Amino acid sequence: MASVTAQETRPRLPVNRPNTVAVGTIVWLASELMFFAALFAMYFTMRSIDVEGFHEHAQILDVPFAALICVILVLSSVTCQLGVFAAERGDRKKLEMWFIITFIMGAIFIGGQVKEYMALVEEGLTLSSSSYGSVFFLTTGFHGLHVTGGLIAFLFVLGRLYVSKRFTHEQATTAIVVSYYWHFVDVVWIALFTTIYILQ
Amino acid sequence: MKFEGKLFVMAMVFYLVVAVIYGFWSRDESGIVLLLFTGAMALIVAFFTLHVSRKVYPRPEDNEDALPEDANPDYGFFPPHSWMPLPLAGSMAIIVLGLVFAVWLVVLGVVLLLFSLVGWVFEYYRGDHAH
Repeated sequence: MASVTAQETRPRLPVNRPNTVAVGTIVWLASELMFFAALFAMYFTMRSIDVEGFHEHAQILDVPFAALICVILVLSSVTCQLGVFAAERGDRKKLEMWFIITFIMGAIFIGGQVKEYMALVEEGLTLSSSSYGSVFFLTTGFHGLHVTGGLIAFLFVLGRLYVSKRFTHEQATTAIVVSYYWHFVDVVWIALFTTIYILQ
Repeated sequence: MKFEGKLFVMAMVFYLVVAVIYGFWSRDESGIVLLLFTGAMALIVAFFTLHVSRKVYPRPEDNEDALPEDANPDYGFFPPHSWMPLPLAGSMAIIVLGLVFAVWLVVLGVVLLLFSLVGWVFEYYRGDHAH
């Protein structure tokens, strides 16, 4: 058996470090999570004061419809990730295709939320009608604003892809960090959906 | 990178344990939710660092015998300067003022915000910097 003497040399591997943009995005998302934690705490504080009233108000929610747009949002996370896999392969066309599909699905979610809001306002539930109305519109509204921000971010990613001649690491990074944000918004919605529509 | 990941896993476990103890004692829903969210915050960082640790080579930081010059000098692309944050902050100020005083100011602020965002995102994609 040939013996191999392990030479104690310091490895001269090409040193790498995590992408600074990705690290920054993750730190920012962690702080964003604290923002949503405050919204959830607000919801549960108001609910603990008036549990009966919250159950009563929640009866006017259209749960099946909300579940439908929730599924669409969750599936858009899948298409977004398929876009990221394409970006990592350097497949620009596929990345564009998947991100456009994700954008459309996100837009359907926002459209559905607007429709839901209009139905609720017709039922008499507004931001100032009751404590339930306040927390409902504040929590889902801030989430909706985040989704809208994500949609704008997708447009910026696509815009950068269209104006750049070559597909480089830079475009891939942009696509990846936007996908981080999109998954984050998606997971927050799953928590919000469980809290507001299922737990009531 | 693995060590950072383990640190944040420990932080997550700590917050989850505290959430359980707090929940048993206080039965305060909003406090439990906040503690669970703090655990999730640690989970985000832990997941990211552990995920990245499998992709990057061992860094000089992970090597006890490393020398300062081993550090990779390439930190990434940082623009030398940009005026864009100024209009961005200005349009945010207009939006917030509009929320207090008049709705039409919000509309104006959002339009300005979109312009300054486009300016910032595409600053190094135009003119001499086009690539």
